[in-house]
Parts: sequence; structure tokens; C-alpha cells
Amino acid sequence: MRSLNLYRTAVGAVAALLLAACAPGGNSEAGPAPSKPVSTGVGSQPVTLRLLVNSGVDVPFYTALGELFHAKYGNVTVKVDNQDYATLTTNVAHILAGSTAPDIVRVSQLGNLIEDHLLTNLDPYAKAYGWDKWPQSQFASTRVGPDGKQRGTGSLYAVGPGFGLTGVYYNKALAQRIGMSRPPATAAEFDELLGKAKNAGLQPIMINGKDGGSVYPLQNLVMSSAAAAQAVQDWNYAKPGATINTPATVNGATVLQRWGRSGYLPADVNDIDQTRAPREFLDGNGVFFPSGNWQAPGLDKSGAGKFGFFLFPPRQAGGPSYAMTAAANLGIAAKSSHSDVAAAFLDFIQTNTQARQDTVTLGGLAPAGPADAPPPTAAAGSAVAATVGAFQELLKSNGLVGFMADATASIHVNSLIPQTQLLLAGKTTPAAYAAKVQSDYERDLRR
Amino acid sequence: MTDVLLRQRSEDPVAPREVVRRSARRTRNWAALVWVAPAFGMYALFVLYPMLQSIQYSFYDWDGIGPAKPAGLDNWKAIFTQPELLHSVEHAFILIVFYSVLPVGLGLVAAALIRELRPGAFSTTARVMLFIPQVLPLVAAGIAWTWMYSSDGLVNQVLRAVGLERHTRAWLGDFTFALPAVGVIGVWVMLGFCTVLLLAGIGKIEPELYEAARLDGAGRVHEFLAVTLPGLRRELVVCTTFTVIAALASFDVIQISTQGGPGYQTMVPGVEIYRLTFLQQHVGQASALAVFLAALVLVIIWPIQRLGRER
Repeated sequence: MRSLNLYRTAVGAVAALLLAACAPGGNSEAGPAPSKPVSTGVGSQPVTLRLLVNSGVDVPFYTALGELFHAKYGNVTVKVDNQDYATLTTNVAHILAGSTAPDIVRVSQLGNLIEDHLLTNLDPYAKAYGWDKWPQSQFASTRVGPDGKQRGTGSLYAVGPGFGLTGVYYNKALAQRIGMSRPPATAAEFDELLGKAKNAGLQPIMINGKDGGSVYPLQNLVMSSAAAAQAVQDWNYAKPGATINTPATVNGATVLQRWGRSGYLPADVNDIDQTRAPREFLDGNGVFFPSGNWQAPGLDKSGAGKFGFFLFPPRQAGGPSYAMTAAANLGIAAKSSHSDVAAAFLDFIQTNTQARQDTVTLGGLAPAGPADAPPPTAAAGSAVAATVGAFQELLKSNGLVGFMADATASIHVNSLIPQTQLLLAGKTTPAAYAAKVQSDYERDLRR
Repeated sequence: MTDVLLRQRSEDPVAPREVVRRSARRTRNWAALVWVAPAFGMYALFVLYPMLQSIQYSFYDWDGIGPAKPAGLDNWKAIFTQPELLHSVEHAFILIVFYSVLPVGLGLVAAALIRELRPGAFSTTARVMLFIPQVLPLVAAGIAWTWMYSSDGLVNQVLRAVGLERHTRAWLGDFTFALPAVGVIGVWVMLGFCTVLLLAGIGKIEPELYEAARLDGAGRVHEFLAVTLPGLRRELVVCTTFTVIAALASFDVIQISTQGGPGYQTMVPGVEIYRLTFLQQHVGQASALAVFLAALVLVIIWPIQRLGRER
């Protein structure tokens, strides 16, 4: 009896607690931060600018940029902290909401950061520094509309020193063996080369299907099949009504599935990850390696002059070429008390000649910036030189498209990777693939 | 513990008068409460309160930072209507075979065999070798096993060496074998724990029982069934409880070795909850799945615990 009463009291207490507790989370009325007047100087007061970036290659790169900045503006010291990619991506919202937020943070995905008012609106700085006069496609992916979700439109929230860029690396010696004297001019020609490589007993393509490398050629096949990238770009940016469930996607998926069946992709493609694929390619296992410019410094270091790079070929010769790109984005924390200095740093890393050179050599990224900025130098015939050249070309032709993987926070791991694995294993059809990716996308966006 | 106390009380030879006993018990209870309060306070603050919060979050659509919108039962409905979420729960049940059934079964056999060894270098070595996986962080184990399972890894090298070339495959990238392959990692990790715990239990069984069984002409199998198995009831319950929870709540090994792939073949609730919370920022949906998982663990553990208590 007593225990029953105790039990009743406990249940009552719990129920009361649940009822009394108000809804979790912040204030729903908080609007966007009012824009403060901005200035372009760094003043003369001593300032420590705190940067939070990813571990690894980011650290020496941003440290070098910080030292360059300090050399120019003696009163500003740049302190670089780092967290590994996964930790930073998962915690960035809480770090920015906390009381010890850094001034500048490396943001891989904007997620809900804008909706939750955690980043500074950079529009006033873009105007003050004249970023709005530069080629604008470089800023499209970090513009966010008033709903906090749709990208490619609205205000600017992040800029960066440079861009990742995808294309196809090739092993020059093996390419010669299959009679490839110049990069393929059309997708059909590329397909033929793959067949020749297979017949010559070579592994035509090396790629990492375990963690999503196989999604790159898929997206390229979709864009070359459509001979346009607008539909994919709209989809990436969550434009209302955008869909990926199109004939172009079905065609692209059909070709990729055929490549898998024909043995153009490694037999254990779904088990190869992003550390193993470049290693295998370096060892000569694979004529082609679809990947990004972040691989170029590594390939040059291990085999200078042995590897070339071309953009995924268009459907028709001379047609538009497309590449996936993602900026190494830096945002200014809404809570930063040095936002003017932080903005000066962001302008500096995009325009300073030495900073742009470091972006290529230390960051493995292609710098964008003003249209008339001199492109950084790289050793002739190197993979790095090829990627930098390709980037400049695409910047002018508006051929830069975001990664489908970045369309929503989880579309990559929850849909594109598993669905592409199912596609390559013959366990889903191209039509079902396109439909499933679209329905997951709509669920993610809560449409 | 409780039944021991109960027995002592009922065996109390001098039963005091009803009234006295009642008041005495009441005072004792209040004193006990004071002693329990600090620990209970901590427990309530760091365990009970977060648990209740999770239940509360599961009825909201919340990204962890901004305002939360009431979502009614939507998050709960999703668990039963989204095939990926439901499949992840199924996989957790399949993992019970690998994390629990096999290690406990093999652990019993190993413990019974080691018991028969004379204490010495060999039996110590056997014990240490079986227990070593417990010392390694699961993340390290996951990475090492990923290497062993790769196309040119140890597993395939062994298969090639013994002429089973045509059975080689990229184990973790294979739609049929990925889940069992992950399961084997679980067997490897859990076996040592079960064996050592069961060995300790065997040590507590009175040697006279074994002697009596031998004198009655029992063979090894019979001896195992009649003496060892009943004597290990409590240890078996602990082993099973621990390993079943490890199976249902598995996260680290999967996250490191397959990330749920190929396709959705090795996705488990632990990885789903992690992704929902930190990647998708669907704290409400993640909480619903976490509460569901916790309830599931309780429902499965309950009968095992009852089984252990019966006499």
C-alpha cells in the first residue's frame, strides 16, 4: 500500500514536472541581429582574433595566413584553434551559441546557423570592401534567403580563401598505353576510353564508394546528360519546387550502374574509402581517379608530373563543362566583439597576393577573389597547375556548381552514399534511385 | 541482496509487537532517506532529469538551439513508418546473436575448459589472450578489424592461403556479409569479458560438487550441465544483460567500420540517433528513437533479470 502511494506520488511529480517545463529552446521572437555600422579598418588597439578551424591541413595554412596578417597589422594577433572535422561540424552551433565563441569559425555546412542567428550578416562588409563587384558565383553557396534555408539568394554569411574543385585525375603513363593523347572532349569519348582501359587489363576508374566518392561522377553524369546545371544548382540551394527526380538523374544513374556492371569501377568499390583510393591510384591501380583539387598537392608530392587533371567532359564537344565546388568558408560569429577586424582579415585572405599563393600551396585550394587578381603560380605540368587553371576557366564560364552532398546536412550520409552503393550493387534501379533521393530531400527540408 | 534481507527478517526469532515494529521501520526509513539523499540528488540531476528531458524533447520538433515547435506524436510515428529507422532496430536484434548469444555460449565452453587446466602459464596465457580485446578501445578495434576485412586484408589472405580464393570478398562492403562481419567484431570483444566473468563464477562453485558428480559417474558433459551451468546462473544473467545492452546500443564499432553501409545494411539505432542529433539537428526525432531504444532495452532485460532471481 505504502509503495503504491509512493509510486503514485512519483508519477504525479513526474507528470507535473513535464507539464510545468516549458518548451525547450531559445526565444522564437528573436529577429535577425540589427546591422551595426561597420568600418573597414583594424584600428590601433591590440586585438587578438580567435580562429577556429578544422584539424589537419587547415592549421598550418590558417596559421600562415594569420602571420601574414600580423605582419601587415602589428596590433592584431591571430590565434588559431582547431577541432577535427566531425567534432567541429557537429558542435559548431553550440560553440557559436556559447559564451566563449571564437571570432571566426570554419563552417563546413550552414545548417541552421542562419536560422538561429549565430553568424554575422556580411552584406555591409561586402559593400564596404567591394566584394560585390567581384564575380558573384563564388559567393552563391553562402548566401541564405530570409527563411534561413534557401541558399544562393539573400544575404552573405561566409567567405573563404579558396575553393575545392572536382574533376578527373589521370595517370599519364597508363593513359598513353590506352592511346589517350589528350583529355576526352565528350562524355561518350570518356566512356570509350574506359572500355579501352578495361580491354587492356587495366582498372579503368579508381574511386571510393564507401564514403561517397562515387557520388561525384554521378553528379557529373547528371549534369552532362542535361547539358545544364541549373536544375542541380536549384536543388542544392533548396529552391522551392526544385527536384532531382528528373530524366537527367535517371540517365546519369543508368550510366554509373553500367560502369559498375562493366567492371569500369573496382569490384570492391563499396569498401574503398577516401584514404585508400588515392593510395591505390598512386600505386598505378586505376587509369582515372575522379576526385578534387585537395588531392593535387599529395599527388604532385608522390609523383611529380605523373598525373594530369581534366574537367569532366561535356555531352557535346565544346559544350559547357561543369565541376563541383565548395568554398573553404569562414563565418564571423554573431557574438564576436571584433567583427570589423575579422572582416578585414577575411578581405585580406582573399586579396593579398602572398595569401592567395599560400591558399594554393598550403591549402590545396583554388583562390577566387576579384576578377583581375593574378592567378597564383604552380609548377608547369603539375596536377596543382592543372586544377588552378581549370578553376579560373570555370569561374569565368559560370561552370561552378555546389555538391549535391551539401544540399541538406544529412543527404550525403543518409541518402546519396547508401543509395549509390545500392545502385552499384544492382539493388536499386536508376528510377527508384532518383525518386528516393528526392523524397529524402523533401523530408530533410520538412516540405 | 533484497531477498537475503527478507529472509533474515522473516527468520527473526523474536517478532516484536506490530506497533513498535511499524514505528521503528518508519524512523529507520527517514534516516535511510537522509543517507541516500546526496547520491539520489546526483542521480536525479545527471540521470533522471536528462531522461525526462529526452522524453519531453521527443514530442517537439527542435534543432537544439532555436525555438521548439510541438510535434505531437510525429516523431514517434516516424519510428514505425520510416523503413530505415525500423530496419536499424531489426539489425540491433540480429546483433544480439553476435554480441550476446555467441560470446556467452563460447565463453561458457572456454571457461569450462580453462577450469580443467592446471593453474599455470598456459591457463594464464589463455585467460589474458581472451581478455585483451576488453583492454583495447573499441574505436581502435574497429579500425584494426576494418583493415583485416579489406580486400587484401588478413582475412582474405588467410582464405587465399588455404585455397579458398573464390570465397574472398570485401567483407564490410558486401551486402550479405557486412552485418555478420561487424557481428564477429562483437564476438571478439565480448568473448573475453564473458569468459573471465564466468571463470570467476566457476571458481566459487564448491569443488565438492564436482567431486560428488564424478563419484556419481557423471561425464564431462553431464558435469557441465548438472554442476557448472546451475552454479553460474547469476554470472550468466550479468553477462547476458551486459552484452544484450551492448548489442542494442551498439555505436562505436559500426560508426568506425561501416558507417551503416553498404546501403543501409548495418545501420543501427545508435548511429541513427547520433546522426539525427548532431548532423541533422532533429533533436526531437533523435530523442524519440533514444527513448524507444531505452524502453526496448528494459523490456528485453526485464525477463532476463527475473530469470536470474528465481530460485
